Amino acid sequence: MSVAKVPRETLAIALGADELASELAQAGHEVVRTGSCGLCWAEPMIDIDGIAYGPVTDLADLEAARLGPVDTLPDLARQERRVFDRCGRADPFDYDPAWLCSQLERDPVEMIGEIEASGLRGRGGAGFPAHIKWRTVHDTPADQKYVIVNADEGDSGTFADRLIMEGDPFRLIEGMLLAGRAVGADKGIVYLRSEYPLAAEIFARAIASARNMGLLEAFDMELFVGAGAYICGEETSLLESLEGKRGEIRAKPPVPAIAGLFGKPTLVHNVITLCAVPDILESGGANYAALGVGASTGTMTFQLAGNVKKGALIELPFGVSLRALIEDWGGGTRSGRPVGAVQVGGPLGAYLKDEQLDTPMTYEALAAIGAGVGHGGIVVFDETVDLVLQAHYAFAFCAHESCGKCTPCRIGAVRGKETVEAFMASAQGDDELAIIRDLCDVMEQASLCQMGGMTPIPVRSALGLK
Amino acid sequence: MLEPGSEETRVRDIATVRVDQIGGTIAALSDVVRTFGHIERRHMEIVADVFNLTVAEIRGIVSFYSDLRTEPTGKRHIRICQAEACQSVGGRELTAATASRLGIGLGETAADGSVSLEAVYCLGLCTSGPSATVDGRAVPFATVEALTE
Amino acid sequence: MRNGDVDFGTPAVPAEAGAEVSLTVDGHSVTVPEGTSIMRAAAQIGIPVPKLCATDSLQAFGSCRLCLVEIEGRRGLHASCTEPVTEGMAVQTQNDHIADIRRGVMELYISDHPLDCLTCSANGDCELQDMAGAVGLREVRYEDGSNHLDAGADASNPYFSFDPSKCIVCSRCVRACDEVQGTFALTIDGRGFGASVKTGADDFFSSECVSCGACVQACPTATLMEKSVIDHGVPDRVVRTTCAYCGVGCSFKAELKGDQVVRMTPDKDGFANHGHSCVKGRFAWGYANHRERMLEPMIRDRTDAPWRAVSWDEAIAYAAQRLKTIQAEHGADSIGGITSSRCTNEEVWVVMKMIRAAFGTNNVDTCARVCHSPTGYGLKQTFGTSAGTQNFDSVAHADLMMVIGANPTEGHPVFASQMKRRLRQGAKLIVADPRRIALVRSPHVEAEHHLPLLPGTNVPLMNAFAHVVVTEDLVDHDFVRERCDLASFEEWVAFAAREENSPEHVAEEIGVPAGDIRAAARLYANAGNAAIYYGLGVTEHSQGSTMVMAMANLAMATGNIGRPGVGVNPLRGQNNVQGACDMGSFPHELSGNRPIGDEALRGQFENAWGVEIGEEPGFRIPNMLNAACAGEFKAMFIQGEDLAQSDPNTQHVEEALASMECVIVQDLFLNETAKFAHVFLPGTSFLEKDGTFTNAERRINRVRPVMAPKIGMEEWKVAQALANALGYPMQYGSASEIMDEIASLTPTFANVSFDLLDRVGSVQWPCTDDAPTGTPIMHRETFVRGKGMFVLTDYQPTEERANRKFPLLLTTGRILTQYNVGAQTRRTDNIDWLDEDVLEIHPADAELRGVREGDWVAVTSRMGEISLRATVTERVVPGVVYTTFHHPDTGTNVVTTDLSDWATNCPEYKVTAVEVRPANHRSSWQETFGVRLAEQTGLLPQT
Ligand SMILES: Cc1cc2nc3c(=O)[nH]c(=O)nc-3n(C[C@H](O)[C@H](O)[C@H](O)COP(=O)(O)O)c2cc1C
Ligand code: SF4
Ligand code: FES
Repeated sequence: MSVAKVPRETLAIALGADELASELAQAGHEVVRTGSCGLCWAEPMIDIDGIAYGPVTDLADLEAARLGPVDTLPDLARQERRVFDRCGRADPFDYDPAWLCSQLERDPVEMIGEIEASGLRGRGGAGFPAHIKWRTVHDTPADQKYVIVNADEGDSGTFADRLIMEGDPFRLIEGMLLAGRAVGADKGIVYLRSEYPLAAEIFARAIASARNMGLLEAFDMELFVGAGAYICGEETSLLESLEGKRGEIRAKPPVPAIAGLFGKPTLVHNVITLCAVPDILESGGANYAALGVGASTGTMTFQLAGNVKKGALIELPFGVSLRALIEDWGGGTRSGRPVGAVQVGGPLGAYLKDEQLDTPMTYEALAAIGAGVGHGGIVVFDETVDLVLQAHYAFAFCAHESCGKCTPCRIGAVRGKETVEAFMASAQGDDELAIIRDLCDVMEQASLCQMGGMTPIPVRSALGLK
Repeated sequence: MLEPGSEETRVRDIATVRVDQIGGTIAALSDVVRTFGHIERRHMEIVADVFNLTVAEIRGIVSFYSDLRTEPTGKRHIRICQAEACQSVGGRELTAATASRLGIGLGETAADGSVSLEAVYCLGLCTSGPSATVDGRAVPFATVEALTE
Repeated sequence: MRNGDVDFGTPAVPAEAGAEVSLTVDGHSVTVPEGTSIMRAAAQIGIPVPKLCATDSLQAFGSCRLCLVEIEGRRGLHASCTEPVTEGMAVQTQNDHIADIRRGVMELYISDHPLDCLTCSANGDCELQDMAGAVGLREVRYEDGSNHLDAGADASNPYFSFDPSKCIVCSRCVRACDEVQGTFALTIDGRGFGASVKTGADDFFSSECVSCGACVQACPTATLMEKSVIDHGVPDRVVRTTCAYCGVGCSFKAELKGDQVVRMTPDKDGFANHGHSCVKGRFAWGYANHRERMLEPMIRDRTDAPWRAVSWDEAIAYAAQRLKTIQAEHGADSIGGITSSRCTNEEVWVVMKMIRAAFGTNNVDTCARVCHSPTGYGLKQTFGTSAGTQNFDSVAHADLMMVIGANPTEGHPVFASQMKRRLRQGAKLIVADPRRIALVRSPHVEAEHHLPLLPGTNVPLMNAFAHVVVTEDLVDHDFVRERCDLASFEEWVAFAAREENSPEHVAEEIGVPAGDIRAAARLYANAGNAAIYYGLGVTEHSQGSTMVMAMANLAMATGNIGRPGVGVNPLRGQNNVQGACDMGSFPHELSGNRPIGDEALRGQFENAWGVEIGEEPGFRIPNMLNAACAGEFKAMFIQGEDLAQSDPNTQHVEEALASMECVIVQDLFLNETAKFAHVFLPGTSFLEKDGTFTNAERRINRVRPVMAPKIGMEEWKVAQALANALGYPMQYGSASEIMDEIASLTPTFANVSFDLLDRVGSVQWPCTDDAPTGTPIMHRETFVRGKGMFVLTDYQPTEERANRKFPLLLTTGRILTQYNVGAQTRRTDNIDWLDEDVLEIHPADAELRGVREGDWVAVTSRMGEISLRATVTERVVPGVVYTTFHHPDTGTNVVTTDLSDWATNCPEYKVTAVEVRPANHRSSWQETFGVRLAEQTGLLPQT
């Protein structure tokens, strides 16, 4: 009997995957529900006996959607899939814990050493070296420590956390258990945004299944679903939220690694950061560090989104250029018009122009042009983009999502939005630009957190302010 | 003295399960929204009592999170993504057209309660925008027709 | 300038916490304890860093972003309030870049703020205004943006207004409510630009706010503002003094504009309150200027005759004449007097001395008789000192608090805030009280055990605790061996171990399951630092003294005495209960609680005063009243106390007062007792007094005159004049001289002087050579009496028991906004919170009697009947009803009995068997009250 793999993933389902699955079952296929392999442009993408089809709209005309053998599909084969190696290939619940169990015997200090050797940096946005946090949590004495997974993925243009939680939840469970072992925590919490109901469902089921397998005896975990606040992706806001409070930013110090949830040492990591851990511990930190460029080691899960023909998640070593990603992998804009601007790294990321697209995707190279990798989201705009409007949006988004604690962000975002409006209405606009320039300095220098602190990045880049 | 099955009992039960949980207040209030559609002052009072917090604190929490709505949605609830990836493929235009088709603005509910329109900031469907949800169901490549028919 | 006048921005880090760190700020070096913020370190060397959200009464918050500084070797700017110092750090608080950024932040603030500084009520007292100046803001370039300028003001609270159009969302009010007061009544609502301060309700008055005013004090702008400041303007001078309400004894800065008190601000330097206060102390001082205040002396021959306003000379001469006549006819001991725990130590001393020396009798007692006399007795017997063992701050070290018969959140709110802070840090709590008081469960506080014992069963409860401690061997043997009298301990062990004292045996009698008692006793004994706090629910019983000793026994047996975090601590009712007792206003004791029978001691006083003092104890208050009814006691000087409202069995008190030939009342208002008086001598409010109060932790606080005495002289001069008129010369020139005499004759007050107090702020007696500035914690090395003495505490049930006719037990108490008989608080806007006394009754008892919420009910005891409104609540357990005694027309004490503590006669207010039934009219006493009120008002001089 032939085996048909059909993704059980939000986008694929919205595009008819469930219906396809039942039709395939009716047609006598053994249907396996997998995750998505990340080729979103091809969703619903199905795999029948090793041959990929997508996007499949009509089973009757399957051949029209034929992509070829999955194993050699260039869009997959050319990637360096370390985090996503399993995602989309099998039923995620068909999980063998043997390897994980063997790893949970390892010496914590040695594990932290591997993380250090790997050069792994946080994938949530700040790119902070993971091992420093691990060692701090490990070294801070306490009766209770936590591992917290930041799955609040609020950046426009990003969906990596969702894909892996829907498609390979055990990868995250592995990462959490390993981190817990290394830092000496026995409790893990995943903070998932409410906009991802399917991820919540699948991940909750995975926790239950892990518990049944006896994996959660020394380290328990639970899933917390947020209630609609972008700022809760910022780690201290997230901690406040997990304490059941308003998600207002906490001043640092103390850092969460020393005093985090309920004042206890807490390791906070993005989903993808933790999902990189199993591979590092399996193949060795040095092996991982061999990928990438300089201090940007390993792979990054780039997410091609917006006005792009082949939107997808592409896992590649750091160093690939933006242009390659957009053109080679993304096939250019969806509209067919020339690229007008690319926003890299979410709503707090810079708008890059054509002449900047050859920048290699590394923390250092992007920093050098005033941009950042962020969570790896790449949003492509075509030439019709109105960058003044985008600057306006950057302020508006900050105004909408500001926690309201600190003044530069609370009032500044609104004044910024209003001043961009005044700029649009005014003939000359020099005065307004001067005010915006000063305001950006104030927000950048004085904001309590990076919400207000980084809003100037999209604003300045969109308006061409230095 | 609580009557079984009364609204007060239900809210109390919803909240009580969450008391010792991490983020319990938010989870309980989310459950209230799920059960009753929105949160009223009297719900807040009960949740405050169960968690041994003040009504002020609960109010502060409710008002912080967009999901913890204090007004009912329309019978049909449409959310359209306003974030950049969707903007790049016509999200603004879709929003404007949908609003004018329905005769209500973002954040509004039709006078007859039939439909409400809300902004959302990224649904994680950024390859396939403009994105929206209708009654919680994801709609990639959204069009006015798909949202309003 | 005192520390309290400088705002260091962030709280001090306890020096004991760790190492010292040295750094430089703008090139100047400074050394501070590790953990100190840069802001505080800078402030300590006189470098003020601009700030708005920081204030040293609150934890650093880091939201205003004005306090940014540069740190050498680190990128960017850092908030100096949240950034701790590190060794060798070099901080720059000022340069052009910093100035630009700060100005930019300020520009944002002002872009959403009314530009009406000159007409604003806070003009000159506004941190926003100050900071705008400090950062040099000249112009605001943002025009016509969205703003909050139209947000309407909330004037619902009688004392302060909330004008959100001026709010800068610094959260200081919210944080003050949380951190300082512990009520959590405020929140930030919404987020981003929409963030605003809200209560949980539509306005302040209907919210969870308890009106302590901490938010008003914390607000850096005119958003939260005292209405008195709005009305009168910003104060220009300050007098430091002490609150005259409860036994916490909060220190205040009375802030004046000219002679007008504009507001009372709790003093950060106050050791009892650390800058916090309650609704009474902060706001309810307006009675001092109330139109009903009596300012002229009055006399009359008979109580149904009109009052005549007379000169001081005439009033004093008249009083002296009548007293002399009575004594001539009926003997020296036919008169007496009582001192007031509301008055200063000095005023009490003079009245006490007047009675002993000029009246020539030991018939002197104090109103502390009716509240805490068992404390004095019980703690003296066991520990050797008639006072609590700890300072308030000690509670910060308690791992467990056991609160018995006290309702701190209502009665001692400022201390309650300190308790709650400790509870939020994880200390455990046991509440033994017939009512579900707020501490049992209220936001952020939850007692481990509530033992809702029936009124009158304290002693068996404590005996059951003792039983558990003894039989489960939870005794601290080392402590007992070293510190206690072993013979008495052995006897006590044998007593406690008796089966009749087991939890199982007493459970039914006291109405608490044995398991709960056992668990609570274990918790207490095993807690580490366990502290007992108690109030009138312990003392006002026929076995009040027994209970005090039972608690003392328990504390000794478990080693909970003599260090921070433990102890046996009375929460004294009135401001100067401790002081009035210390001053020797007891018939059997001279000052410092020393027996009058001690000849050598009497000799000292006789030498100093030049009179003879009788060796026989005089009458206690109840004896005076009984003797008056019997026709043997004829005249009484009553200093600042309203016997007719506050003492039990009102009808008996009234009969006694009516039987006397000369009743002299000194008070602020024509109180209930004054309706039976022949001489009325006006007194002074605390705002007019110069002297000292001693609070519940033995702290002697200075009371300083904020305004000139409205009666034309200091209050103690009245008693001095009367003494002189009676032929006993008294020539004090000032209150400070009186204190010098007190100190010279009273070992516990030795070394105390106004000088010392003005120098160090306040002291807790005794001031010894080892502890020249006072003794926060007593019985550290040894007990004052030597070895701690265990006393057997047999349970003798009160005669007052529920029966078929009177099946419910009434217990009484007070509420936050009102104070005792309400003489002061009823004459302030506090009346908005409680304009009548109501009866709390459990739903089951209410249903049985057909009583619904708000119904009028009659409460009948074997003494009398009153009617009042009922409120149906589970705060009381079935079988128990509760009311307050703040309103004279209620006549709560009409129903209370004249049973009293066996040792000290402290009345048994807390247990009265009653029946409750629906009523549709006032009781006959209440009718009479109304008639008498009208009559007596008609007898006042017309003005
Ligand atoms: C406004 C704001 C939003 C953020 N949102 C997220 C998010 O959604 N997911 C995330 O992993 N990190 C987010 N971050 C970063 C986190 O604060 C934090 O750096 C991260 O969770 C650390 O994990 P990492 O070391 O694995 O990157 C956000 C930061 C800011 C300032
Ligand atoms: S920058 Fe914005 S989001 Fe961050 S603390 Fe300030 S107000 Fe809150
Ligand atoms: S930006 Fe619209 S779904 Fe992500």
